[in-house]
Amino acid sequence: MSITLDQLTKRYQGVPVVNDVSLEIGDGEFFVLLGPSGSGKSTLLRAIAGLSGLDHGRIALHGRDVTHVAARRRGVGLVFQNYALFCHMTVAENIEFALRVRRMRAAERRQRRQELLRLVALEGMDERLPAQLSGGQQQRVAVARALAHKPEVLLLDEPFGALDAKIREGLRRTIREVQRELGITTVLVTHDQEEAFAMADKIGVMNTGRLLETGRPQDLYTRPTTRFVATFLGAANLILARQGTDGPRWGARSPGLHCPGAVIGAREREVVAVVRPEEVEIARSHEELFSSDYLGRGVVEEVVFTGALERTRIRLEEAPEVPILAHANPEGAALLEATRAQFEQRAFAISPGQEVTIGVRRAHVLPTPLSSFTVCASNASAAERLAGHPLLLDLSSRMKTRIRRHLEPTLGETAPSREAAASLPGTTVIAAHRNVASDAMWLLEQGVEEVLILPEHAPSLQRVLIHWTDESARRATLAASASVLRHIAAEAIYVDVLPEKTAAAERSFGFRDLLDARSEARVAHGLEIRTELRFGVAAQALTQLLDESPGHMLILGITSAAQLAGELAALLASPRWPVLLVHREHEALARSRSAA
Amino acid sequence: MMAAGAQPGSLEELATRPGRETLLSALARRSLIGISVAFLAALLLAPLAVVFVTAFGHGVQVYLRAFADPDTQAAIRLTLLTALVVVPANTVFGLAAAWAIAKFDFRGKSLLITLIDLPIAISPVISGLLFVLLFGMRGWFGAWLAANGISIVFAIPGIMLATLFVTFPYVARELIPLMQQLGNDEEEAAITLGAGAWMTFFRVTLPKIRWGLLYGVILCNARAMGEFGAVSVVSGHIRGLTNTMPLAIEALYNDYDFTGAFAVASLLTLLAVASLVLKSFVERAGYRRR
Amino acid sequence: MREGQPTVLPGFGLTLGFTTFFLSAVVLLPLAALALLAASTPLDQLLDAVASPRALASYRLSFGGALLAACINLVFGFVIAWTLARYEFPGRKLMDAMIDLPFALPTAVSGIALTAVFANNGWLGRYLDMAGIHVAYTRVGVILAMTLIGMPFAVRTVQPALLEVQRDLEDAAETLGAGRWYVFRRVIVPAVLPAMLTGFTLAFARALGEYGSIIFISGNLPMKTEITPLLIVIHLEEFDYRGAAALGFVMLAASFVILLAINLLQAWGRDRMVRRGQ
Repeated sequence: MSITLDQLTKRYQGVPVVNDVSLEIGDGEFFVLLGPSGSGKSTLLRAIAGLSGLDHGRIALHGRDVTHVAARRRGVGLVFQNYALFCHMTVAENIEFALRVRRMRAAERRQRRQELLRLVALEGMDERLPAQLSGGQQQRVAVARALAHKPEVLLLDEPFGALDAKIREGLRRTIREVQRELGITTVLVTHDQEEAFAMADKIGVMNTGRLLETGRPQDLYTRPTTRFVATFLGAANLILARQGTDGPRWGARSPGLHCPGAVIGAREREVVAVVRPEEVEIARSHEELFSSDYLGRGVVEEVVFTGALERTRIRLEEAPEVPILAHANPEGAALLEATRAQFEQRAFAISPGQEVTIGVRRAHVLPTPLSSFTVCASNASAAERLAGHPLLLDLSSRMKTRIRRHLEPTLGETAPSREAAASLPGTTVIAAHRNVASDAMWLLEQGVEEVLILPEHAPSLQRVLIHWTDESARRATLAASASVLRHIAAEAIYVDVLPEKTAAAERSFGFRDLLDARSEARVAHGLEIRTELRFGVAAQALTQLLDESPGHMLILGITSAAQLAGELAALLASPRWPVLLVHREHEALARSRSAA
Repeated sequence: MMAAGAQPGSLEELATRPGRETLLSALARRSLIGISVAFLAALLLAPLAVVFVTAFGHGVQVYLRAFADPDTQAAIRLTLLTALVVVPANTVFGLAAAWAIAKFDFRGKSLLITLIDLPIAISPVISGLLFVLLFGMRGWFGAWLAANGISIVFAIPGIMLATLFVTFPYVARELIPLMQQLGNDEEEAAITLGAGAWMTFFRVTLPKIRWGLLYGVILCNARAMGEFGAVSVVSGHIRGLTNTMPLAIEALYNDYDFTGAFAVASLLTLLAVASLVLKSFVERAGYRRR
Repeated sequence: MREGQPTVLPGFGLTLGFTTFFLSAVVLLPLAALALLAASTPLDQLLDAVASPRALASYRLSFGGALLAACINLVFGFVIAWTLARYEFPGRKLMDAMIDLPFALPTAVSGIALTAVFANNGWLGRYLDMAGIHVAYTRVGVILAMTLIGMPFAVRTVQPALLEVQRDLEDAAETLGAGRWYVFRRVIVPAVLPAMLTGFTLAFARALGEYGSIIFISGNLPMKTEITPLLIVIHLEEFDYRGAAALGFVMLAASFVILLAINLLQAWGRDRMVRRGQ
């Protein structure tokens, strides 16, 4: 492996700017780090170059551990966004700089310089000063300069940011060709998704310091695993669908979705499906849909002609069976985006105000568990207050999902009934109070799978503690934790608690559980977590950790509502930290129940 | 825009870089800081301190008695009067010059700018000399002035003129680059909206340039009150009549009245320190010199 | 400003007229008087004033001393600017603000204060005296005063240049394998060289014309510690206007040459800068 990053973390004033990033890049690979500004990608690149120190983690270049090696001895070449050419030196002197430092003889330097100038198509420009060159030419000099000393790794920090579109394309091609010819491992940082697609062998998407997903451009586009990647790589409609025992469907009475690779779950739950605008078909009526599955009816709001494509926005009709969009829209109804090619426009022309039928050719269900939020309170004002909670607003806006309201006047009192579960999709949110554990137990008995308990005031999150009472809750808890942590820049720590009197031999099992948890988090969910092992009673150990500093959150996985009756109840009721309860019935129990 | 201030290239990032903190670099840093502090302490701090220590060297009573001297009081009055006349005149000039230069294009603009910079480049003695040559007894206008009973040189008008000459660039030099940088867009918008010339100036331009104007006025005032060389040449050193504070300091010093000299000096030093404080206040309010 | 279009802004006539009048009255007229007087002086009188041994000695001191002081300021100015731009230490902001003190302080005050500090029994003078270095009433004192007066120029021109040297350049040099000293020599110094030279020239010009801060510490011994401006004053006191004018003309000519040099240096510095983000 050419570049190995292992659990890199860099904090600034307590906030992780690069958060537990692990990555492996192969020899000769062109890897693109893609993300919005502030996602930590530039810091990560500079850390690889040695210009930025790390708080935690290891970097290895071609097998050599360079974590504590100064930048000048790492053998990397870095191309800067603003070129950083030495303006008092000529092009030739700029390119030869690295060779001069290494005391190469003038004749050899000249030879190498000519090679490089030829490589970047700037022959003859030796004696020019940077001020006499255009932006594109300056950038090419910067590339040549970075390659002069034959580095093992080439790093580019948003190199095309300051250039015009046409020049950018030409430069992209040049750099790609140069890279292929030299076979040098390359990492390029950008926020431009088009650029990433054009250049990368593999893309790594970053947000709020975390590396969310890595993969080939096509795979990330058609089969993203997270909301963020789905919406960042291109326009996407996020639609809430129901996934039952026989596969995903839009509404209770709709036919099944065409959804390749969907995972069948044990019970019906709400999921988020990604539908790309180009996979939406528009027709006059249900019968005229010929390449897609029926979704519903709607009214055309906006039609924009952009040359090769037509972009439309359609307001879906609201009806109980019609799926709703996950976007939290203040007016209540969200707009579906569709793009159509020329031949589709010729077949069926549309204009604003027209009623149309919508079909979906292909959808992709995201495996993320937190689909939407439903605020549950005993009266309307309490519900509104809860719906305005900063943490909830933050999460829902970043996850681009809805907050519904549900009034349950008898919160905590009614006997369980099967019907109630259907009206509480997604994650239920309740306010913390002394007896919140009984509220939570009631909700869980209604069939709710995730409960978010919010205290009235919660400081901004810096750390998330994860714990599960039983190994069978592990997968679901990690999935939920991964979903939360992708949208919040906080550290994640899994805490395992063994009884005080554990024998030394069994302690090693505890450690092994930690390792298992960590590797599952990484492999299955792309989440890097720390681990801690404590001894004693779970509730006390967790309380101690949570009390250490403000800004904590607890994600607790349980396998039966009864587990909440004991000491864990106090954890839930605390006014100091929010708690996310993840409940999946013990697998054996679930199997026996469905068999009955 | 990086997350939470971990700017690439900031001093913080530099500090965490691997291989950064070596023994040699720490040594270099300490010695450079040490040398700078020592150099400035000797050249700046010590003289600053010696002014006050000597002024109060014989106690507060002697210090205060220095200001009871009528000649000293006259000098203080003259300095204040000069500043009162010179600073507003130069402010008006500075505003006019900056307006003409920043807002219009015309031939000879660079010549004008060079001329404005001139008094700063030439020795104050020469500045004074110029006025003596014009208005002195044997100067160009000397005869005519004598015939009409007007004295300029060796009298207060001469002092004012010399001070005017020496300090007039200060306001202009602050305002010209500032107004050039700020551009004409807002004024043009005001005109098209129907505002008159003076209204545009007072409502649009003045608020934009107020910190630069204040900065220039502070500098102008400090120089006007403290000017020595030019005034020394034109004043004639007549005690109680044509001595400004700096000249009074010289007179007292030459008379070996050190306490007196440093007492007057302490006032001017306080003024200088106040000017510096005001300057940093203005800079913190967002005005950065180019 | 759009080319060729009549501007819509008012006040051109008024402001230009006023400015021109002011400048003519206050600057051009006096300069003309000086030039004419110098030009109309018979040659032998001219030479007597300008080339007398006393005058020549004063040139040696004024020009030579100013040059030396500017060199000292070049070195120390850079050190101070570097320290202020790169290091954090207690009192840094105060130190930064104090650099401007010689700008604000009246020259007479710095003159007597410097003398008090460096006189034979002064705070620092007594230690230097013991080491055999006499400051007051010697050339050393003159150069010291010249250094003080030029110091803010040396620091304030280099400081922004140092801060502006793109951090990227140093980072780039480091990734290319250069050690810190190499980066300093080959990247930083060349980039701030124009600013350093501008500061040098400004300090030189200021020290050349300085009067107030020098005459107290110098002792004004003819042929030894007499500066040219003082010589001009002496001529005036003797009502020898022609002699004064001749000497003044020499100094003015020198000032013009220096002004020209400054402008050329600043233009050179600007040409070397790369257009950012282009």
